[in-house]
Amino acid sequence: MSTLELRRTGTMLTVLGLLGLVVVYWLSFFWVSTEASQGVAQRIFYVHVPAAWTAFLGFGIAALASGMYLWLRDERFDRTALCAAEGGMIFATIMITTGPLWGRIAWGTYWTREPRLTLTLLMWFIFLGYFLVRRSSENPEKGKRYAAVTAIMGALLIPFIHVSVLWFRSLHPQPVVLRTDGGPALPGDMLTLLLTSLAVFTMLFVGLFMLRYALEGLRNDITLRARKAVS
Amino acid sequence: MSLYLQQIKVIFWKDLLLEFRTKERLIAMAAFAVLTGILFNYTLDTTRLQPQDVAAGLIWMTIVFGGLLGVGRTFHLENQDGAFQGILMSPTPRDAVFIGKTLANFLLLYVIALLVLWVFTFLFALEIGGSIWALLLALALGSLAFVALGTLFAAVSSGTHMGETLLPILVFPLLLPVVIWGGVVTGRLLAGRPVSEVVGSIRLLGAFALVAMAAGALLFRFVVED
Amino acid sequence: MDTVLEAKGLVREYGPVVAVNGVDLSLQQGEFLGIFGPNGAGKSSLLGMLGGGLRPTSGSVSICGEPLNFSEVDWRYRVGVLSHQGFLYEQLTAKENLQFYGQLFGLTELDSRIGRRLEQVGLTERAGSRVSELSHGMRHRLSLARTLLHDPDVVLLDEPFTGLDPSASAVLRDVLRELKDGSRTVVMVTHNLSEGLELATHITIQVSGRLAWQGMAAEVDRVGFGRFYHDVVEGHP
Repeated sequence: MSTLELRRTGTMLTVLGLLGLVVVYWLSFFWVSTEASQGVAQRIFYVHVPAAWTAFLGFGIAALASGMYLWLRDERFDRTALCAAEGGMIFATIMITTGPLWGRIAWGTYWTREPRLTLTLLMWFIFLGYFLVRRSSENPEKGKRYAAVTAIMGALLIPFIHVSVLWFRSLHPQPVVLRTDGGPALPGDMLTLLLTSLAVFTMLFVGLFMLRYALEGLRNDITLRARKAVS
Repeated sequence: MSLYLQQIKVIFWKDLLLEFRTKERLIAMAAFAVLTGILFNYTLDTTRLQPQDVAAGLIWMTIVFGGLLGVGRTFHLENQDGAFQGILMSPTPRDAVFIGKTLANFLLLYVIALLVLWVFTFLFALEIGGSIWALLLALALGSLAFVALGTLFAAVSSGTHMGETLLPILVFPLLLPVVIWGGVVTGRLLAGRPVSEVVGSIRLLGAFALVAMAAGALLFRFVVED
Repeated sequence: MDTVLEAKGLVREYGPVVAVNGVDLSLQQGEFLGIFGPNGAGKSSLLGMLGGGLRPTSGSVSICGEPLNFSEVDWRYRVGVLSHQGFLYEQLTAKENLQFYGQLFGLTELDSRIGRRLEQVGLTERAGSRVSELSHGMRHRLSLARTLLHDPDVVLLDEPFTGLDPSASAVLRDVLRELKDGSRTVVMVTHNLSEGLELATHITIQVSGRLAWQGMAAEVDRVGFGRFYHDVVEGHP
């Protein structure tokens, strides 16, 4: 796809995603039925869960593209990794802010060492490192390699982090009100809304990703043109 | 002996010899360990708090912070006169360089870890109720995991203008499993629980160390190329 | 004669900066190439790529017909590099530095090799001294011994005469002359026109990442070369 096509498709998807977001908000406030045991606060899940999914989608793509970049040294993989990581950061931020808000009401405390929340927070920091090594290298190519190594290392060790925080939780009983395992499946309208919201968030992510990717492409063109102008 | 093993050995001994001659990192880390122990000794109100309840966590955090101090300077001497570039221009595979340097760092950190253990048991009058061998093994595996990550990211951060300030941001998020499993093993063994209760955690610690080591050896080549 | 060192279309970029912009080179066994050029011409980057220390953005380098492959190590036995940095550990003695380096190469009869090289650069008596106790000139000679320790076919020298006192320069000049025994190929980057002209068989002038002029040292008018060099550098866009 050319940069122009990317921008067009990206804009379209982003606008659709934003409109979809309005619909999701409207549905989650006025349409979906209230969950019996948790009350109104449960409605934050229609933002929280899709945000978590999109964050991990972004981080996953970033780690994969980083590996491909180190292997093939094609700039496009690095650009993919950068843009996906930025998207991941945004949605991870949404996930780790909405989680404790809900936890305050459901569990009576903001932070309960909830494993998935801890994992996302650590991923957030791993990718903070990703951006820092990128911009603090005097030579951009070096920064790209460092960033890729950071992302891959994170992806390789994340299973251990996940197992360890789960294990830690099993060791220290938490003030749990909600039990997800063995509970009843989501009622129809809740499931419908959750799936709709997942689709909307994914669309928004892809749209933002395309716009961001196109922007990096334009930046690259400027560098090349400036170089031509000099020589 | 194959050349590969000889290269690992040569780099390992060279790093130890440099450390032995300068003693910079060893002194800094050892002083840090003892002083941190003393500060903790005065920040915790032992009339209200059982020291053995918190000692395990403090021991591991002291090892981590002290380790960062020393491991962060792994490439300091290497870069003074470009000597590291000399190593890279020799026919030494990058993974051999990584393994040699990581093992040297490991030995250094293990000495410090033992010192930390001693300082805390001494200052807080702790008794190691459980198996000392299991505890020493857990400290070794935890230190190995730490230096594997530390050495890789020390190479990364030494190539940036943020330098060592970047190291905690890169290493700490990945270090959570080490402090969780290491802390639990230490806590239980200090409390005199049987080895069978900590075998699982020690295994997980070992698996983590192995993966961190292998990943570091694999990725190091992308960090050091010019 | 065989082509020992060959570069095709070498380009090296540092982000938006192009240090080396399309360089082709071909050197036969026994040739000694002097590269002149102003600061920032990309001489060190070019030398870095020829020695395999620096990965080219595009283009390739081959030694004895084999392209340099970064995941392999065999070709590194053929190359020796003397950089503007010494690659030495101050806390180790002269001999320990050479031992460390030689063991990385897995060299046999290391002690006699080290003895021979130390003698060649006039440091036999300082073998047991730590590098921190050596003068600048001595360190430089030690670096030279380190460069030649594994008997490389291709020797790359980056500004070897910079900052040397006359006696160290004399030692260096003698060693470099010995390198012209017909079996080795040497590339030397330098500011110093007279030293370069005296030692080199081939001359090139690098400006703005490109080789602006190439010629044989024997055919160069030595008296007027300074002026000629100046014209080439200034005349290049």
